[in-house]
Amino acid sequence: MTILVWERPVRLIHWTIFIAVIVLAVTGFYIGNPILVSGGAPTDFLMGTYRAIHVAAAWVFGVAVVARLIWAFIGNRYSRWDQFVPVSRARRADIKTSFKYYLFMQRETPPGPGHNPLAGLTYLVLYAMFAVQIWTGLALASLADPGSFLWSVSGWTFSLVPIPTIRFVHHLILWLTLGFIVHHVYSATLIDVEERSGVLSSIVTGWKRIRPGQAGQAE
Amino acid sequence: MATLLERLEANGISRRSFLTYCASLTTMLALPASLTPQIANALSKVDKPSIIWREFQDCAGNTESFLRSRNPGVADLILDLLSVDYHETIMAAAGRQAEAASDAAAKKGGYILVVEGSVPLKDDGVYCTIAGKTAKQHLEELSKGAAAIVNVGTCSSYGGIPAANPNPTGAVGVPSLVSNVPIVNLPGCPANADNITATFVHYLTFGSLPARDQLGRPLFAYGERIHDSCERRAHFDAGQFALAFGDEGHRKGWCLYKLGCKGPNTFNNCPAIRWNGGTSWPVGAGHGCVGCSEPEFWDAMGPLYQHLPNVSGFGVEATADQFGVALVGATALAFAAHGVAKYAQHRITAEPAAQPVAAGQPTEED
Repeated sequence: MTILVWERPVRLIHWTIFIAVIVLAVTGFYIGNPILVSGGAPTDFLMGTYRAIHVAAAWVFGVAVVARLIWAFIGNRYSRWDQFVPVSRARRADIKTSFKYYLFMQRETPPGPGHNPLAGLTYLVLYAMFAVQIWTGLALASLADPGSFLWSVSGWTFSLVPIPTIRFVHHLILWLTLGFIVHHVYSATLIDVEERSGVLSSIVTGWKRIRPGQAGQAE
Repeated sequence: MATLLERLEANGISRRSFLTYCASLTTMLALPASLTPQIANALSKVDKPSIIWREFQDCAGNTESFLRSRNPGVADLILDLLSVDYHETIMAAAGRQAEAASDAAAKKGGYILVVEGSVPLKDDGVYCTIAGKTAKQHLEELSKGAAAIVNVGTCSSYGGIPAANPNPTGAVGVPSLVSNVPIVNLPGCPANADNITATFVHYLTFGSLPARDQLGRPLFAYGERIHDSCERRAHFDAGQFALAFGDEGHRKGWCLYKLGCKGPNTFNNCPAIRWNGGTSWPVGAGHGCVGCSEPEFWDAMGPLYQHLPNVSGFGVEATADQFGVALVGATALAFAAHGVAKYAQHRITAEPAAQPVAAGQPTEED
């Protein structure tokens, strides 16, 4: 039996975020450590170009993240906010089950065709990181113009935390995000191999095969 | 007492050069040129406001900077307008006489309190004691009658070098101790003499401190980042960087970003007004900005020759990128090991799986 788990907007947002993160990572690493150095041609605009792409990709990323947050309140049951914030007792209990699976204490894969509660919690952490990343990015962008609207919104950050520390946090979260991608691809592959549910292809097609035991959890 | 103009004449300084100086101050304060006459007028009849200049945990570097203001002839006379009633480094009096001068000025009230250096709080503030009183006691007593407090230098503004880790004396800046008096911070290590002079002139002209930002710094001096007014900025945008001191890029005057310049992290007007009477400034001389006028200088700006701070707390210091590569690599290794282990788990438990251990659904697909 196959069911539609990831609706079209969820998939679109997923891949938008993926592409934006790759572009942001490449340009971000360049901005942090410009390994390509111009030879001195008067028309060169390397750093300027990388920064422009970084800022443009950042806006795409920010809009996609906000869109996903909105979808968490209007989407289907697998995309809703309670998949990430374990408010129900059952979800909290299943966090333990998921842990048991990953710690070799049980063979059955975590329950549910959607995000298992542990994975949901991981995405909660990821989105918290995204929030910090977006905030520090806006604040750093505002430095160029302390008279701007952006500065009036985010400039107060630098009354609390020195500017280099904000840059440092912004840089570390990029590395943590790359670490997350490693985890994300591995876990999806692992579960796909275990369940043969097509979870890997589901983020393209939206559809997943579910086990008979999971049928009750489908719509 | 002779007016300023009479004194200018006595010193052989023309009214023209006085007005030129007033015009340059007007520009520095980012005021419209039409206000120059008002500034000149106010300065010509100023009535010697009293100044108490207190040094706490400092190196007297701001005093040194202040004594080298841009236009010696006129500026010195303007500074003569200020009645500096107490200043350890330049006053003739010493001991009880000096304290008596401070007490007399304090009794009159309405003075400008200039503070240089941080205030230690640890162990009841014993690490800075002057005339039997701690810096904190002096500050508390003197801030009561002060019309305004001018913090010169990073130490009195934010704590500065004495407050750097591990901050053995518990040093803090003046704004964390005083709140009921208007305060202006002129951070910098040292603060630029021209910014100090301009702040005084603003006070003498308008009777108030200049407009300040969220960190108490006057906007005329700290309203823009060094990076955004830097003469090497075009090289940054082009991707033209000096990679080592003395290399081709460095000799061509390219951007010092890769040598750890903190210009992108620092609000100050060094590129515009420069130092030592407009002679030069650090980046102009070929060395990156060290961010001396920002909060938590020294700690937050280190390492000086690196763009980002290091990751510490793992026994060894590593750059953020070394840490990142290790993190992603370790994650990949851990998950690879996990995958192998999962495979092994299925192989090892394959036979006993048929036994009645499993509670619930079957896990194996056909």
